[in-house]
Formats: sequence, C-alpha cells, structure tokens
Amino acid sequence: MTTTTAPTTATEQATTLQKGYVGQSVPRKEDRRLVQGQGTFFDDVRRHGMGYVHFVRSPYAHARIVSIDVSEALALEGVYGTITGDEVAIHTDPFFEMSVEPGSRIKDYALAVGKVRHMGEPVAAVCAATRELARDAADLVQVEYEPLDVVVDGEEALKDEVVLHDDAGSNVVWQGVFDWGDVDQALAEADHVVKIKKLHFHRFSSTPLECAGALVEYDKGTGEWTIHCNHQMPGVGAIWMAPALRTGIDRLRFVTQDIGGAFGNKICLHPQFVVLCLLARKLGRPVQWTEWRTDQHTANAHGNERTFLDVEVAVRSDGTMTGFKVKALDDCGAFPRYEPLGCIIWAQVTPGCYAWRNIRVDFTQVCTNKSPVSPNRGYSRMQHLWLTERIVDIVAAELGLDPVEVRKKNYVKAEQMPYETPNGCVYDSGDYARCLDLALELIGHDTIEERRAEAKGRGKLLGLGIGSTLDSGTNNFGQSQLLNPELQFSGNNEAATVKLDIFGEVVVTLGTVPQGQGHETTAAQVVADIIGCTPDQVNVRRGHDTWFNSSAGFSGTYASQFAFTGLGAVKGAAELLRDEMIKLASIVFGVPEDAVELADAQARLKENHEAAIPFMGLGAIVNANNAFLPPDFNPTLNHRYVCRPIFGVVDKEAKKGKLTLTYATQIHACVVEIDEETGEVEIVDYAAVDDCGIRINPQIVEGQVHGATAHAIGAVLHETFAYDEDGTLLTSNFYDYHVPHALDMPTLKTGAIESPSPVAPLGAKGMGEGGGGGIHCVCSAIQDALRPAGGAIVYDSHNPNHRVWEMLRDPEATRANVEVVSK
Amino acid sequence: MLLREVEYACPDTVEEAIDLLAANDGARALAGGQTLINVMKARAAAPEVLVDLGRLAELRTIGFSSDGMLELGTMVTTAQLVASSEVDVARPVLAEVGATIADQQVRNRGTIGGNVCVNDPTNHFPPLLVALAATFTIRSASGERVVPADEFFLGVYLTAVGPGELLTKVSVPTRKPDSGDAIAGVTIGRHGTYIANATASVADGGVRVALGCVDAVPVRATAMEAALDGDFSESAVRAAAEGLGATLDPPSDVHASADYRRHLAEVSAVRAVLQAAERAKAGVT
Amino acid sequence: MSEPTSSRAVSVEVNGETYELEVPARRLLVHFLRDDLGLTGTHVGCDTGNCGACTVHLDGLAIKSCMMLAVQADGARLTTVEGLAADGELTALQQSFSDHHALQCGYCTPGMLMSATALLAQNPHPSEDEVRVALQGNICRCTGYVNIVDAVVAAGETR
Repeated sequence: MTTTTAPTTATEQATTLQKGYVGQSVPRKEDRRLVQGQGTFFDDVRRHGMGYVHFVRSPYAHARIVSIDVSEALALEGVYGTITGDEVAIHTDPFFEMSVEPGSRIKDYALAVGKVRHMGEPVAAVCAATRELARDAADLVQVEYEPLDVVVDGEEALKDEVVLHDDAGSNVVWQGVFDWGDVDQALAEADHVVKIKKLHFHRFSSTPLECAGALVEYDKGTGEWTIHCNHQMPGVGAIWMAPALRTGIDRLRFVTQDIGGAFGNKICLHPQFVVLCLLARKLGRPVQWTEWRTDQHTANAHGNERTFLDVEVAVRSDGTMTGFKVKALDDCGAFPRYEPLGCIIWAQVTPGCYAWRNIRVDFTQVCTNKSPVSPNRGYSRMQHLWLTERIVDIVAAELGLDPVEVRKKNYVKAEQMPYETPNGCVYDSGDYARCLDLALELIGHDTIEERRAEAKGRGKLLGLGIGSTLDSGTNNFGQSQLLNPELQFSGNNEAATVKLDIFGEVVVTLGTVPQGQGHETTAAQVVADIIGCTPDQVNVRRGHDTWFNSSAGFSGTYASQFAFTGLGAVKGAAELLRDEMIKLASIVFGVPEDAVELADAQARLKENHEAAIPFMGLGAIVNANNAFLPPDFNPTLNHRYVCRPIFGVVDKEAKKGKLTLTYATQIHACVVEIDEETGEVEIVDYAAVDDCGIRINPQIVEGQVHGATAHAIGAVLHETFAYDEDGTLLTSNFYDYHVPHALDMPTLKTGAIESPSPVAPLGAKGMGEGGGGGIHCVCSAIQDALRPAGGAIVYDSHNPNHRVWEMLRDPEATRANVEVVSK
Repeated sequence: MLLREVEYACPDTVEEAIDLLAANDGARALAGGQTLINVMKARAAAPEVLVDLGRLAELRTIGFSSDGMLELGTMVTTAQLVASSEVDVARPVLAEVGATIADQQVRNRGTIGGNVCVNDPTNHFPPLLVALAATFTIRSASGERVVPADEFFLGVYLTAVGPGELLTKVSVPTRKPDSGDAIAGVTIGRHGTYIANATASVADGGVRVALGCVDAVPVRATAMEAALDGDFSESAVRAAAEGLGATLDPPSDVHASADYRRHLAEVSAVRAVLQAAERAKAGVT
Repeated sequence: MSEPTSSRAVSVEVNGETYELEVPARRLLVHFLRDDLGLTGTHVGCDTGNCGACTVHLDGLAIKSCMMLAVQADGARLTTVEGLAADGELTALQQSFSDHHALQCGYCTPGMLMSATALLAQNPHPSEDEVRVALQGNICRCTGYVNIVDAVVAAGETR
C-alpha cells in the first residue's frame, strides 16, 4: 500500500502544456490481452518444422578447447544438426569492439573459438525436433578442455598474470583519466580530507522473469533473416550482427511482441542470435532458442561491478564538500561488448546531486573470468551515484555532521537549475532539497530517536538512511567518442509513425521495444490529445518490427529516454498528421485552416460543430476518393518522424559535453532494524520521492518507482552474483540468488513533485531505471544503525546477514578503511 | 531444465508400489515432486523408473494410534497438515512450521514423507521431527518396522528407507500438558530456505534440541540439553548454549561461512529453547 | 496399468475441455500445456520451481506446473489463465489488476492471477498480509508487488 502526496509543480509553466489524456492515469491498453494470457511472448511463437536449440556450455571458467566431437549428438534420432566455434570462425567475422587498444584487439565470436573464458560460455549448439531431444543431444557432445588458471578479481586481473585475450595481451580493456576543476588545489585548501581506501559495488542484475531468446527464420530466396525475439535494442543488435554475418543490416528483420521485462539484460544477445542465424541457414528450417534461467545468471548479463580505490574528499569546516578524487576499477567479465560505454556513461552524473566542482576519476576497465557485463537498470550511473552517497554519509559520520544537513548544504539548488556540471552536462530541472524533505516527512524523521530507543529494548539496532539519486536519460552517444575518438556514434534518435488508415483508423508504430513500460498506452495518450480523439481510438501496434519502418539506429527501450525520444517521435509524427488533416478539411470546407479544429475523432468547423468530417471521411478521401484535390496538395495522412535530441558535439579533449538531456530525481529514505545477534536487516519504513517532470501517466510512473525500489532492495540485501576462486558462479538459480518475493517487500510510501523539463518535448523526463536509490539509502541506514555498535563503515553495496554480522563483530576492520586528515 | 527419459508407473496400492520399487533397480518413489522433479530437471539424479504414489489413498490419512500418537500418512501434503484440526490439537508446531515452507503452491503438493525422505540439510521437517521424537514406519515386502527419529536420518538425501521399501507413516507424540515446542533460525528471505535453525521441545522439565543445516543430518545438541537441567531462565539457557558452535563442523557457502553458521546455531538454539519454555509455562503453543 | 512405461495416454480436462493424448513420461506439465495443447498463457520463468510463472489450478489447488509431470495429471481437472475470463468478460480480479496497474510486462501475471484466484475462492476477503502469503510463490521483477497486493485486496473488498 502506498501513500502518495498530491503532485505539486515546482515551476508554473508545467501543466498548460497538456490538457486532456496526458497527465492522467489512463488504464493500459496492454492489460486486456495480458490478464487473459493472450500476450505473445517469443516462446509462444511456433513455426512448422522448427527445431529447438540447446547450447553446450563450458563448465570451466578458463580453458583451452582441445577438441569437440559432435558425432554422437548427430547420431541421435530427432537431431537436426549442430554448430561449433570452428564453423563460426569460418562463416563470420568477429564482432566489432568499441574500445581503443588494447581492448580493440579482442576477438569476440558468437561461439568460443579456441578457448573459453567464463563458466557457461557457449561452445557449441545442437538443434533437434523437441526441447527434450536438444537437451539430450547436448549431453552427447564431447568437448575436451585443458583448464587454465583463473582470475576472478579485478585487482588481480590488473597484474596481467592470467590473461584472457591473447590477442589483446592484457586484461585492461580501457583506461582514462577524467579531470575537471582542480581537485589537488581543493584538497590542499580543505580543512579536512576524508580518505576512503576502498568501496565496492557488487555484481547483480535485474533478472527479468522472461529469459532471452529468439525464433529465427532464414528465407533462402531473399537471403533475409526474421528474428522473433525479445532484444530490447534491435538497432544496436543489427549493427553488431550484420557485419559479423557478412550481410547488410537490411537483411535482418527484428520482430518483438510482448517482452517479459528486460531492464538492460536483453541488449547483448547478438552472439546467441548469430548462432541461430547460422543454424537457420545451415539447416534450412526455423530454429528456436529459449535461454534457461541458469544460463541467464551464468552467461548473459551481469550489471557493472566497480571497485573504488583511494577516494579522497575535500571538505571545509562548514561542511561544504569542494571535490573528490577516486580510482575506479570496472570489472567487465570475460568480454567487454557493450561495456566499454560504462567507462564513460557514469560521467552523466559526475557530481551526483552535489555542487562540488573539482573531481578527478581515474578509470580502468578489466576483463576477468566471469560472465560478461552488460547494461543493467541504472547502468553505470547507479554505481557512481552510490559512490557519491557513500562519500556523503562517511564524511558526515567522520566529521560528526548531520547527514541531512550535509546533503542540503551541498545539493545543487533548485534556483541553480538548469545547472551545468563540471563536465558540461546540464541538469535540466529539479529540487532535491524539497524531495528530501518530503521523503523525511513520509518516513517520520522527527520520531527517529524515540524509535531507536524503543528498538534497542527489543535487541534491534535502528537506523535511518537517505539515498539521493538521479536517473539521467536521453543518451548522447557522442560520449562514446570519449571512450574511442574513432567511433562514429553521436547524438540519438527514435522514430515513430502515425497514420490514418484507409477508413480513418488511427494507427501508430513505435521504434521502441516496450517490456512493460506501457508504451502503447502513453503513445495513445499523446496522439489522442494532438489529433482530437480518445486513446481507445488509437491503435498502437504492439512491439517493434523492422518492417514497420519506424526505427532508426538507436531505436530501442533503454537508458530512461522513452518519454523524451519515443514520445517525442510520436508527438512529431502526430503533429505532422494533425496539420495535414486540418489542411485537408479546410480545403474540403473551403475555409481558412484556423477555422478548423480536430475533436471527437472529427475535423470540424470551430464555429459550427455540425459541419464535420469524421476521420473515416478524411482517410477515405486520401486513399479512395482523391481526384478533386488540388494538384499542389498531396496528403498522405501517414507520417514518420524522427526525434533527434539536440546535444551539440562533445569536447573530446576536455571530456565535456551534454551527455544526457534529462535528469529525473529520486530521493529515498528508509528505516531499518538490525538484529544485534544475527545481523539480519529488516526494512521497517520506506519512502521514495520521484521527480520526473511532467508525468504522462502518473500510475505508470509510480509503478516504475516501485519496481526500481524492489530491484534495489533485492540487490542491497539479497542478490549477488558470487563466484568461487575457480570461477564457478555460486548463485545461478532463484534458490541461492534470492530476489524479493511478496513477503520481502516493505510497505512503500511514495511521493512526487513535477519539475518540468525545459528541454523535453512534453516536459517529461525519461525515468524508469531509478538510479539505485534503494541501494544507497539502505546502505546509509545500515551504517546509521551500526553507529552505536562500533561505527562500522558500509563499504560494499551488498549487505546480506553475514556481512552485517561481520560489521557488528569487527567494526574496526571496516573503520581501518577510513582516515581523516584535518588542518 | 528438462528430464532425461524415464519410465513411469502409477500403482493403485501400497503393495504394488513396493513391488515396483523392489523390482526396478533405478526406481524412485515420486511423492509431491517438489524436490525430485527439480533434481531430475537439473539432471543431478536420473532414476530410471518413477513410482508415483499419487493414487495411494492409504497414505493420505491423518489420525491417531491407539496409544495416542498423531499418525500422518506420508503422502499428506504440507497444506493438509497446516489445515488439519487433528494436527492443531495434537502437535500444532507441525502446522506452524509447515506454514513457512516455501509457498502455497509448494505446500499444496509437497508431502511430509517427501520432505523427510529427501533429508536435505535445509529441510524443515527432519530437525523438527527429531526434536519431537517422532517415529517412522517403513514397509517392505517382508513387513513393517518402526524407526525412531534419532536413527532415521543417515546422511544427505539418505534415510533408513532402503531399496524396495516405502515410508508409510510418520508418528508424532501428542503434546503433553505444560509442554512447548518452538523453532528459531535464519532464512534466505522470508519463508525461504534455512541457513541455520534449531528446534526445541520442552516437556517434563527436560528438553530436546535439534539443529538443522549444520551437518548431513539433524544434530541433537545433547550437551546443551544436559546442561539445562530444568532451569530455563535466559541466563541459564545462554550458559548452556555456550560452546555449542565450537562442537559443530558446518558447511561454508555463499550465504554463511562455517563460523557464521556456528554462531547462528548457538543463537537459534537459545531462542528456540527460550520460546519453547515460555510456551510450556503458558500452557499453550 | 502398473507396468512402468516411457509414455502414457492421458486424459485431462483443461478449462472445461477434455484432451486425450499420448505423452512422454518425462514431459513437464507446463510444456504439455504450452507445446502440446497450445495454451501459451502459462509461462516458464526459472529452472527450479521458485518463480511461479507456471502456476495453474489442479483440482482447485494452485500448483506449479513445472514441478509436475504431465502424466501425473491424468484424470485431473485443470484451469489455466485462459480459463478465467468467460467469453472475454474479465473476472473482477482481472479487472482489478488493470485498474490498479498490477502488471507491467505481464509475464508473471497469469501465475499471479491463478494464485490470487485460488486465495479468493478460499478466503473471499483477505488482508494485505494474507495476500502476500498467498503470492509468496510468485516472483515479479517489474512491480515490486505493491499494486498487485492492492489489486487483490480490492477485489476481495468488492465481493
């Protein structure tokens, strides 16, 4: 159950923009089919003669492949065929690498070639008539391995004693220094320097309930592949796959329908999909693969794991923090793939919520024998924001300051918006202090000390925590040039089409790939308001289809940008359609255009609503009865619009520029109780305040806040991808990788304000990822709770029972991490 | 994920089931399947023949023996246990513990017999039944035998039930007046798998304490039991538990180091005994 | 009848219709429903019986169909999500899910509906805590359960 405070606008300009459906919690169009089990997820799609694929995967974290023998598998009745790395190396080229040297020399194929580099890496694939037979056949594939030494720790990997990629010669994928302002000066002038030796952000992921997969068909006649799948960023998928398959991007058709969650974990599916494309072509039949849960955990996509070393923070005696420096070590697992972007993307939120101007980050990314990392809800910014929040809490604790006051003193202020950060990003709008006040009020901040005393009587340590975070959205891919100046990526785009069909039906296609965010509904709301009908009258086609011709290079659903780019494209197309409908009606009525309006699914005279042409009439004129139209007017009633956000060009030298355009705020506060004997942490009170500008559909926005909070709570208390020293993943199923169930979630209190974005087409910022606010605030609360019990410092983003117990048992071990040097 | 090829039989009587188990070397009894099916999906075990006990009505009864023991047929589901008025009257801790096993769907299929015969160290019923001094009735072609709890659990996934045999009944003493039972422990999430637990049963001034998750089989904390000597004050119970952890050799895994498990075992033992004693005093469970 | 066989003829009633098929003994009930009967509303989300996306009713009880063999359902009466709405008219619970935005991606939704429907049949006016206990075997990664619990409680209140 939630308590929601009524939304209040921080500025006045807000709601005059949209009257009508935008801003209302319109019931979702998607729901009807989904509650009846009539959704179509890719595994629901069948084709005659299709084969089912099972991947043979490495049981070793690091090994040379000595031989692969598929003969026994092929001999099993019902097996259609196999494929191995040798064939992949012949028929495809390695996937392009984003990084510069040495990372650029890595050779990444769709199956392991010569060597395996993480447990679960696909080595071969078998295709058979049934799922069970494919599974049986996989057991018959004989693979001989020669195990090699394993490296599972990022700091160890830096030593290059065990090297994963011989072509690269080093485990380092990328290294760079980001330096803005003058942090050395700030540290020299500071009254206090707070030093933190090491903080660690752990590996976990959003583990969407539907696993990855595809059904792939190859058309021999046209050389085209159709990929029915749940890839959430098909443009990027195609950019990787087409060159590898030595074919044109126009030969790959991606079709998505309903998707069971993605959260970033369905972006790097191109290796498996290339295998399927090869098999479909080789075997001359459709082939289907559904990822197993175990495989998703072992070998799909882990979120960024980042270690922060040698943090130094400059603080004045009045509590102003003037800057910090840090060495960041990013462990991207066995193959970098999308991950080099993680080396840069955190810079969208370099200062976090704070006004310090002097920041240096020395960033290195390394490979280890663990699952590859790929974007995961909060991607790369969450880790950096966690760092800033840990810094604030540690500074407050060490200097005896109130963490609320330190935050308010150092927050970027509402009056300073739009605010340019030290590296040229512009925080478009927001009022962090106000959100914090609301969160604290929801939490009952003023009764904390009473509650702390009462809890102590029950053997519990109570703590209050705050997590401030930003959800930066609408990515400028030009930031990739900070990673690699040779990369030809910049800006962003998203496409949509809006048309009247032959009999005037309103049809919309999106380039985005919704996985639960309600795009069909919000797009319908926007279109309905612009062309004057109801959302029910707007048919938004489900999912993404290359052949809709409404996608562009960056199409997809990721990076908290749909409200800007996706709806911006819908708005643009709808406005073009509206203008044409008005002009057409004005010609038919013989009146000036400003005498015509669109309302109630008609074009009509403002002065006389009886004089009206229904949409059906307009569609019929253009499509079936157009002879009378003047020669110089050629209406199509079918418009495609590409929303191209304006970022300007990034300054590669200074590493500055507009890396994203919108910044949603989430301020979380929570109260925890820790069992003094066992270290168990219980969240007893929780509040999240969100500000994403104009909320197109408040209920959908709130749902995203709930979901992001659940992911964060799961990560901080339960979820971790833990490895042993042999590189075996210890948490490969939902027993050991415990995600929150209904009884694990505390009651969530939510609040919202709306600081409209001055740069977004609808004043609505992208939101959805959430920025990991729950992780920051639970860490904060645990540290607060432990203050009277030895004052342990929370140094890791993952705090299950055993770690909290360690902090209770030996607080000094964590305190040795921190040193304060004062003038 | 997917099972290997297997043969399946669905007998109508217990005798037929026993014959099938005896006649087929690689045969396993299939009860609720809430563990066995998963094990087979993972291909960690691949019995050649599954003998489905689903039609054996004889194994689904809850009743009382002539000498007042609560008798549970081994195919009684956890959900039935939780809902049973007989259990509620005779030994309510069984329902209390059963209600925290996994989730409703699992409770609707999982059986007490299955939970007990699997004897995974993290299972709920084995340590509980040891603390309650339950007895187990095993039937084979040559007849029936009854095995006490302290001798029933032999190793991980290993019990006194041998090839060609079937566990048919679990018998639990009816609670005495002024007795109390309690379980305490730490789980992976609410109603999740146990990391460590202890069950205590206080009656007639004495106590049985059984620890789960710390060894292949439930462990009786006999030294603690002896040290308690009828004094269940907090200081006495804590003193009796001291050093308990050091006597254990528990496993280390991603959820708990051996050290942390030792510590949790001690804490759980104290909490379980204190609560059981409190219930004994209050006269209700 | 009692000899072990590697496949078996089963007769199952699903959503009121009787199906008679020969099924391999090793086939899981969830794959029988999805692949053999084409009832794809029931979903697979994990390998170990934790997630509950596969929940259906067996003789009125909510069970996880990934931990049961199809052959074990011989003679049983099953209900899947497709059997809830009669002729496209949503049940009060399904409508409540939509009203309360209790679904985002919709993948866990069939399982949630089956567990909640079973709860409401037994306990028409459940408290929030009772709802959470009933849904404990159904994982959702999108909603944080907030609106799902609200939807079930609300459906109970209107009965």
